[in-house]
Amino acid sequence: MSSPIPPPNSAPRLFQPAQAAGRRPALGLALTLTPIAFVLVLLFGGAMLLAVLQSLGFAPWFGVNTFPSLTYFKALWASQFFWISVGLTLYYATASTMIALVLAIPLALALTKAFPGRGLYDYIYKLPLMIPYLVGIALAVLMLGNGGILSRLAAYVGLIDDPGQFPAILKTHYGWGIITVYVWKQTPFMTLAIYAVLLGVDRNTEEAAAVLGASPRAIFFRVTLPQILPGIVSSSLICFAFNMGAFEAPLILGGGFPDTLPVIAWRYFNDADYTLQLQGMAAVVSMGIISGVLLFAYLAAYRRYEMMIGRV
Amino acid sequence: MTKVHLSGVRKSFGSFTAIEHLELTIESGEFVVLLGPSGCGKTTMLRMIAGLEEPSAGSILLDGADVSNTPVQERNVGMVFQRAALFPHMTVEKNILFGLSVRGRPRGEMREKLEEMLEIVQLHDFRHRFPAQLSGGQMQRVAIARTLITEPSVLMMDEPLAGLDTKLRATMRRFIRDVQKRLRLTTIFVTHDQAEAMELADRIAVIFDGRLAQYAPPDLLYKRPSCMAVADFMGVSNIFPGTLVAKNRVESAFGQLRVDEQPRCPLGATVSLMLRAEAIDLHEHKEDTRFQAIEGRIVERDFLGASVVYTLECGATRIAVSEPSRRLLDVGRTVWLDIAPESVWLLSH
Repeated sequence: MSSPIPPPNSAPRLFQPAQAAGRRPALGLALTLTPIAFVLVLLFGGAMLLAVLQSLGFAPWFGVNTFPSLTYFKALWASQFFWISVGLTLYYATASTMIALVLAIPLALALTKAFPGRGLYDYIYKLPLMIPYLVGIALAVLMLGNGGILSRLAAYVGLIDDPGQFPAILKTHYGWGIITVYVWKQTPFMTLAIYAVLLGVDRNTEEAAAVLGASPRAIFFRVTLPQILPGIVSSSLICFAFNMGAFEAPLILGGGFPDTLPVIAWRYFNDADYTLQLQGMAAVVSMGIISGVLLFAYLAAYRRYEMMIGRV
Repeated sequence: MTKVHLSGVRKSFGSFTAIEHLELTIESGEFVVLLGPSGCGKTTMLRMIAGLEEPSAGSILLDGADVSNTPVQERNVGMVFQRAALFPHMTVEKNILFGLSVRGRPRGEMREKLEEMLEIVQLHDFRHRFPAQLSGGQMQRVAIARTLITEPSVLMMDEPLAGLDTKLRATMRRFIRDVQKRLRLTTIFVTHDQAEAMELADRIAVIFDGRLAQYAPPDLLYKRPSCMAVADFMGVSNIFPGTLVAKNRVESAFGQLRVDEQPRCPLGATVSLMLRAEAIDLHEHKEDTRFQAIEGRIVERDFLGASVVYTLECGATRIAVSEPSRRLLDVGRTVWLDIAPESVWLLSH
């Protein structure tokens, strides 16, 4: 009679198919990564390389080949207007990212609580995510422009005599219109990113801190904020990078010369003299360098913090 | 050492009433366990004492002072949560020091107390670790140290051992009991595990559906449950219907049994007889019985290591008897059950 108890070595057999397929995951991984590698290396990498080459004077198809020369960079960097543009670009990008962040954190925290109308709120706050930037820009023109709804309303209620007297929000170098559009569009995105991180946070830590005597302020800065930092860092990184490179809002709502870097690049590309494209490429590469250095420094600082708090 | 008093406390969430008019006093230095099934309201009680929930009615008094409207930060109570709730971005040291640091205590005092706490919870070697690098038991010890360092007037623990394995639970129970005795801290401990409650408590408050079913020392609760629900929750295996025919005699499926006088039950009352499995003696010969002998046949034997549980058939009724496993009686054999009058407890309906 055979024993009803299986021999001891029979149990691991269950796992053998997976072990036999030990070489397959590598192949599977390679297959999974191929499309993204293709996009990154060939399309993006190739374009990057070409942009750098052009900015250094390599464009035989335009009949220009002074490679390698820094002429275009020198022309750009020697102009004080270029540096004003850099400042302007950084100002719009930083201010709108910071404002959106300051709005998004309380919004995300509110989403974790139950209150009347929460369902509606949950739906409404995401609306701007679904509306394209250009529509947002058009709305800003309609609403904030000198002939816009706000100015007409102000004139109607008698705050000003004529809509034309309404303080300029658009087309100024303060960039209130640009910042408004960025903030309007990006606050929901940041809220969503921070909310996702908040869902993984043990909210008992906040209660524990309260019982230990921490004020609501101390709880926020010492317990909640450090725990939602991954969401803050990732979403602000993405928004800042986007704002650095975005061009339609500064073009339409900005104050004109001096423009932001992407608008400068666009003007060069659009010029009848197509050899100016090389100058445009130098602007694009400059923008890439500035943005890259800043984001790298930001990430490095965050990484140091993560190491300090033992997360990596 | 603080006395805690809950006076007429009620708590509702919308239309759901979690706590129903609760009166409970916890003497200073006492270790009280709130015991009850999940969702019975014991955690809500704890959260109200801590100040994390506001009572819908009634008041909470700490040493006679009404703290019902005192914000959580100012109550000076301590709470250990089920999943430790350590701050994941702080080291063990920083976690423990948090309470003193938010109070802005001087550095020297903080250092001194930190060493004292690390000594109590025996975590010197782990002081620079982060919570993610600790085991479940170590995390709970940090949570306890983090709470104790603020010298709370009351220590509350919400199922702190729920996530730990059996062996670690036993060690942690001893540890918690030792610390509590050493510091003579008023302690309220929530659990749904009756064995845990028995081991730890000076008194156990059994809660069902937001009501206090019984509040008594463990031995009394075990031997003299106040109602069927408590008896059932405390794991009483033998409950039989009966009628009180004389003031110390009850008619049951085993015939008439002599019992201790039951002042709570009127004559002729229908009662439930409760017999603890380990309070019944088994004898191989009828002559050895001392009180009242009932014949039974062993139909099942469960060997549990230190003890052995027999299921006996006495006429049409089955009864469980447990005894030390020094001897083992065979299934099928006839034995004599000996039931002392004082080991029968009657529950009136």
